[in-house]
Amino acid sequence: MAAFFVWLEGTRAAIAVRDSLLLTGALSAVHLVGFTLTTGGALVANLNLLGVLFPGRPPLDVTRPASRGIAIGLTISALTGALLFAPRATVASVNGIFQVKMLLLAAAVLFHVFVHQRIARTAVSASMRRGTGAVGLLLWTGLALAGCAYILLE
Amino acid sequence: MMTVLQMFEWLEATPLGVLVRESAWGFPILVACHIMGIMLSVGTLVWFDLRLLGVSMTGVRASLMYRRLMPWMFTGFAIMFVSGFMLLAGFATNAYGNVYFRIKIIAMVLAAVNAVLYHRFTERRIVQWDDAPGPPTAARVAGLVSISVWMTVILAGRMMSYTMF
Repeated sequence: MAAFFVWLEGTRAAIAVRDSLLLTGALSAVHLVGFTLTTGGALVANLNLLGVLFPGRPPLDVTRPASRGIAIGLTISALTGALLFAPRATVASVNGIFQVKMLLLAAAVLFHVFVHQRIARTAVSASMRRGTGAVGLLLWTGLALAGCAYILLE
Repeated sequence: MMTVLQMFEWLEATPLGVLVRESAWGFPILVACHIMGIMLSVGTLVWFDLRLLGVSMTGVRASLMYRRLMPWMFTGFAIMFVSGFMLLAGFATNAYGNVYFRIKIIAMVLAAVNAVLYHRFTERRIVQWDDAPGPPTAARVAGLVSISVWMTVILAGRMMSYTMF
């Protein structure tokens, strides 16, 4: 893995990002736009499961479009994030906050795909639905906080 | 009468400005609050804008969507504006000459004008199109302008971090 990160840091893309503060800034800006779309979708989907947005509607009516928003936002964030990671792969990969951020990202996405979406399309108790919304909100909020911490404390 | 630059110099010299600039944790905590505020406000506002554009959640009445999302949007905007003002107080003269700060302020003014026009004119006739999956052109324009200017605010705001210091 360490050899892969060293190779990654030597790629043309990594060098271009490392050498240009403006390019780094632009990538970081687009990364934040992508993440705003992701958290917006996650907020709407999970608040709805909590029963505070559109309680009279089938949850899937909200979860389905929100999931598309999450997917679009994550695609933008992942592409720009990979380019931001490339020039500092060796240092970032051992950074504790970055590792927490990636773990929370994996947990939030897996929870959304395998638990949230299943709960949204199944007839379950209100408490089960609210619990799922609460866990989803916690995971996405934790990810957002870890993202902020990584930007500021790196 | 004070010029904008003089006002910014005064703001930077206030106890608040000094506190933000000199406190070890004040700056990172404020930036984190600012980013979380943006995610909460713009992240939820985008869904109302997409409804106005007629591309998402078209089965939900536009007025209901606004009512349910509004508390989250406004909480986010309150966090964003308070933390943003405090950050500006700390680094006002740096921001004054920064092109991205100016773009951000112009985009925020456009967002405010767009919101006022929507609420004063387009929303007044909402009973005619509230249930319609495809809202009228004026509503679609309001949604498109809102998404565009708020994305500009985020992009310019993030660029400020890389060009101000």
